[in-house]
Amino acid sequence: MSADVELNNVSVTFGSFYAAKSVNVKINGGEFFSFLGPSGCGKTTLLRAISGFQDPSEGSVLIDNKDMFGIGPNKRPTSLIFQNLALFPLMSVSENIAFSLEVRGVSKKDRQKRADELLELIALEGQSEKKVHQLSGGQKQRVAIARALAVEPKVLLLDEPLSALDLKLRQRMRTELREIQKRVNITFIYITHDQGEALTMSDRIAVMNEGEIEQIGPCDEVYNNPLTPFVATFVGENNPLFGKVKEINQNKVKIETPDGDFLSTMNENKKLNIGDEAIAFVRPESLFIPRDGDNFDNQIEVNIESFEFEGNIKNFYATLKSGTRIKFSIPNAIDTSSISSGTKLQLGFESIKSSILPKAQLAID
Amino acid sequence: MKPTYFINFMMGMYIFIFFAYLFGPLIVMSITAFNSAEFPSISPWECFSFRWFNEGKIAYDGQHLAGLLSDWRLHDGIISSLIIGAGVVSLSVPIGMAAAIVLTQVRSQLRDIYYSISIMPVLFPGVIIGISTVVLWDRIAGLGGDGFISDVGRNGIFLTILAQTCFISTYCFLIFVARLQRFDQTQEEAALDLGATQTQVFFKILVPYLMPAIASAAVIAFLFSFENYNTTVFSILSDQTLTTVIASKVRLGISPALSALALTIIALTIIAAVTYEILRRRSEKKYAQSQEIFVKEKAASGRINKEYKAGFKVPKGIVAILLVLVFATYGATQIVKNDLYGQSCIDAADQEKKSKFLEQLQTLESNELTEEELSGGSLGGTEDYGDIFGDPSLFQDFGGFD
Repeated sequence: MSADVELNNVSVTFGSFYAAKSVNVKINGGEFFSFLGPSGCGKTTLLRAISGFQDPSEGSVLIDNKDMFGIGPNKRPTSLIFQNLALFPLMSVSENIAFSLEVRGVSKKDRQKRADELLELIALEGQSEKKVHQLSGGQKQRVAIARALAVEPKVLLLDEPLSALDLKLRQRMRTELREIQKRVNITFIYITHDQGEALTMSDRIAVMNEGEIEQIGPCDEVYNNPLTPFVATFVGENNPLFGKVKEINQNKVKIETPDGDFLSTMNENKKLNIGDEAIAFVRPESLFIPRDGDNFDNQIEVNIESFEFEGNIKNFYATLKSGTRIKFSIPNAIDTSSISSGTKLQLGFESIKSSILPKAQLAID
Repeated sequence: MKPTYFINFMMGMYIFIFFAYLFGPLIVMSITAFNSAEFPSISPWECFSFRWFNEGKIAYDGQHLAGLLSDWRLHDGIISSLIIGAGVVSLSVPIGMAAAIVLTQVRSQLRDIYYSISIMPVLFPGVIIGISTVVLWDRIAGLGGDGFISDVGRNGIFLTILAQTCFISTYCFLIFVARLQRFDQTQEEAALDLGATQTQVFFKILVPYLMPAIASAAVIAFLFSFENYNTTVFSILSDQTLTTVIASKVRLGISPALSALALTIIALTIIAAVTYEILRRRSEKKYAQSQEIFVKEKAASGRINKEYKAGFKVPKGIVAILLVLVFATYGATQIVKNDLYGQSCIDAADQEKKSKFLEQLQTLESNELTEEELSGGSLGGTEDYGDIFGDPSLFQDFGGFD
């Protein structure tokens, strides 16, 4: 059983401060939906509004088309997984998992049965009598998930639950979370500031900045066609090229920058006019060193400054003529031993892989 | 002599003096409980005896010196102290807990004011709390006529419970505040989110978390109540608690029965402390073991599987134990050698005192004045004084009033 969650024009204010401002989202039942944004952007506030710890100052939260205003967290069909997990340290693993059943007056036998079922789901059979402090980080994580699922909520809310884990474990838990979501088939609403997490797990994501939603859409769409410069730079990495619009041909836009003219693609929803200040974005992985026979829409001359080795890729940092810094990455499989600092290179990128947006605030990294 | 030796020596001396200062009086007092003499003393040693723990002594002159077992006033005092202690615990622990929980809910600016008000009763002199309680309840009792209120308002035990709760609940409050500061409030939210009502959150999350604080607050409240004197002495009215009984006894002259009582209380305290320590170490060991199992499970096979050999260690307290043993043996041999124990010794001592008493009585009797001497005789009596006024020449030289 899953439920739709709808935020209608939701604002949450603390005094004169807007933690969330006129948020409109419709999350479909059974969807894995993520709110992605930097810390302090209001995503946790939204989550608290959905779970019932914070009623919106304006607008309404609908779960299954029912207005939730004034309904406490214990009466809503939602379960929340806290950032610090908030497992009960004085209870055993199975007591933790069965807590929601205990407070509903379910008999001890049925509680134990359900706890065992859930322990199997999270692959922790036989650990039911352990205390929370005897579990490892990943195990605690899974117990928190099992505890939240015990009452079969219609919506599961997750508040950056993976942030405390180390990298390997985090990557494994991403896959596990996704699998659990498919198995139980309920709505997952996930909060994170880690775009990698959001992109790998979610069906759709909403990118937030300063209490407002900048863009909602499927992961690849948000990544490939960002609607604002903030989204372009916050989700993944992007090289901004500042300039003025020179020519418009349907959705192909030519931008004039100090480093030359570039052809870029305009999002259908964004209107640009000739002479407007704009930014063309090109991602590090979309910049190539042309080989014989390659023919790119755009050519760009760079001067290599430094590089770093990341394993699967190498990151190069370079400057353009105007002094603008730019980053590009090359798969490790390609031999780059001839490139060192001071090397001058000609790079190329396709206009379809570059997007142009009106000038606005970037994400600070 | 190296300076570190010197420092260690001085340190040892300091610790010895400190403990001698702290426990010396208690040790001396404990020993006097076993001396059969009527006045608590070590020397002169009369006889080794348990009489002050039992029924005490009926002196040669017929005066009854009660022992610990036969002193009904002491028993009444202990019973009312226990009742008051229970009352204070059952009032001040909930009050302290509620106040501490409120503190966590209060917003920042009010918080400091609220905290200051809450701890204020500790700063009031106990005497004032005692007197003001009596004054207030006397007024209330006066309003209520002859009914229940007037009975309650003039009941010493009831008033003492209220007066002591007044400041003891503050100590409980401080204990709860310390514990609550480390409470993770997301646990409450988690429980709420999982469907618990506010009441369930309180009983299933907060109370279990506060359990250690509840236990220590209860113990401390009871101890504070049990030993309190300056508030109690006013609010107890016509009743008596252990402390007021002891105080009134001291006023009339102390008896070794008080030493016996002190020793009993010390012994009970030590037993309780040792039991607590044993239980604590046991649970700590259990926890450590469970952690060890956990670590072993996590570690790659056998990497941590070291064999622990428990070598024999001399307990650190051995010097103290040896010292006590040496002194006890010396004392015991002295007592046995000089036959200063048992009923025969006590009888002999009593006999000696009695004969001394009789001797004194005889001396007094031999010095007794005759009937004539008592009624004035040649010097005393009304006649002689009467004669002064009877003398006609008394005012002869008196110059008159002009």
